[in-house]
Amino acid sequence: MSAAAGIEDLLRELAPRVLGTLVRRHGQFDACEDAVQEALLAAALQWAKEGIPDTPRAWLMTVASRRLVDEWRTESARRRREATDAALELPTQAQPTPAGQDDTLTLLFLCCHPSLSLPSQLALTLRAVGGLTTAEIANAFLVPEATMAQRISRAKQSIKSSGLRFNFPPEPERADRLRVVLHVLYLVFNEGYTTSSGPRLQRADLTTEAIRLARILYQLMPDQGEVAGLLALMLLTDARRAARMTATGSLVPLADQQRELWSSAQIAEGVALITRTLGKVPIGPYQLQAAIAAVHDEAPSGDATDWPQILALYEVLERVSPGPVVTLNRAVALAMVNGPRAGLALLGTLDTDERMAHTHRLEAVRAHLLERAGDAVAARAAYQRAARMTASAPEQRYLALRAARLA
Amino acid sequence: MKYMIMMFGSQATMMENQTKEWIVEMIDFMHTLNDDLTKSGELVGAEGLADGSQAKTVSLKNGIPVATDGPYAESKESLIGYWMVDVDGEARAIEIASRVVAFIGPAGAPPVEVRQVMAAPPEV
Repeated sequence: MSAAAGIEDLLRELAPRVLGTLVRRHGQFDACEDAVQEALLAAALQWAKEGIPDTPRAWLMTVASRRLVDEWRTESARRRREATDAALELPTQAQPTPAGQDDTLTLLFLCCHPSLSLPSQLALTLRAVGGLTTAEIANAFLVPEATMAQRISRAKQSIKSSGLRFNFPPEPERADRLRVVLHVLYLVFNEGYTTSSGPRLQRADLTTEAIRLARILYQLMPDQGEVAGLLALMLLTDARRAARMTATGSLVPLADQQRELWSSAQIAEGVALITRTLGKVPIGPYQLQAAIAAVHDEAPSGDATDWPQILALYEVLERVSPGPVVTLNRAVALAMVNGPRAGLALLGTLDTDERMAHTHRLEAVRAHLLERAGDAVAARAAYQRAARMTASAPEQRYLALRAARLA
Repeated sequence: MKYMIMMFGSQATMMENQTKEWIVEMIDFMHTLNDDLTKSGELVGAEGLADGSQAKTVSLKNGIPVATDGPYAESKESLIGYWMVDVDGEARAIEIASRVVAFIGPAGAPPVEVRQVMAAPPEV
């Protein structure tokens, strides 16, 4: 690893801890966040030239605090006039760090606060907890930097205006809040995993970042089954990344993937994690999806996949977290176990489901099952319908090719 | 999710049918809308296009690409501008489009079209 990459990794690991400490001490998330970003920039420049200081965290704390004080000094006149504002922020100042708790966790919960919009939660998490620059986040989401800057500044503004406190969510709301945090990390992962356009490398970085953040969360909350489940799901899904696209960007379905391209290290880690977790804590949808991914990943070939096991897991998933997408996936497993007609019959139950009216997935699965059942004409029509409905370029190409093959 | 919001019409028709006040108001409206979308962090890009009467059409004539005027030169409903927005979902894109329609619709402008930009939706 190059020295610059080493510094960057260290800075990104320290960023949320420094920011968390500052916010706990002073409140004012937005001002602290600006100060930490400036300190990170100063560190990146200075450390590259002069080497990493003995106590890098203290160095960052000092520089960020100094920036914060500078900021306050220039604004002090105005702030004196706004004495009420300052009074409102006082209660956060005296809060001690709860024993054994990392500020990173509190910061993550703040960035994923339900009062923020989803795009704001994603952007803020990547910047404040992930330590990514605005330009990097803008690149990853394929929007102009000015747009992302505005989104982040708006998110910070709404934290300020809604008076959100920097404290760990109390017990009654913690489970719901954790669900939002997990969902945000899951979406960061998906945003990177479903690469379709733009600079591919940067998008892949987003999955790496999601895994890194999930790993931090798992270290901080090792007893939460769904945290372990999400991390395992990410590892087991990302393990197949190299095999799921051809060099020209065409999609390769799971059954046709070259399994030697899968990352055996990630599979081993994911399987170990989900094996440790299952059965010891209340079951949840991320754990079940990770277990399903593990069964796929452990199969030596597509044909050797343990479909009865996958079907059983989908049945549990449907009870724990019912929804049309789960039913759709169960139909695929059912078709593998009991034949395509059984799968098609189950798919029929989704035809009147409003939630499936605007997704191509139902038609795509139906097309596959019709093809396997030997009905080429109906399969081709279903592939064509699916191709028209998808908003994913690689998927559209894939579905159009399947349809053309049956002509 | 990214959406393209497309506006159709023609400058010539607007010049003939609208008052100066309306045009000034329209320009103000477009500025305000773009400012709002910039502030909300949703604007990816927005452009107005020169009038359709200035368009060139490139087509194959005897196997050779040839540029000609029109044939859309007279069209009253060619593309005259678009917004690209990155929003929470389709509902929000339609909300933005509705704001445009609420302004230009009463002046007789054709409907606005909302199309999702090809990308990969989250894998489910």
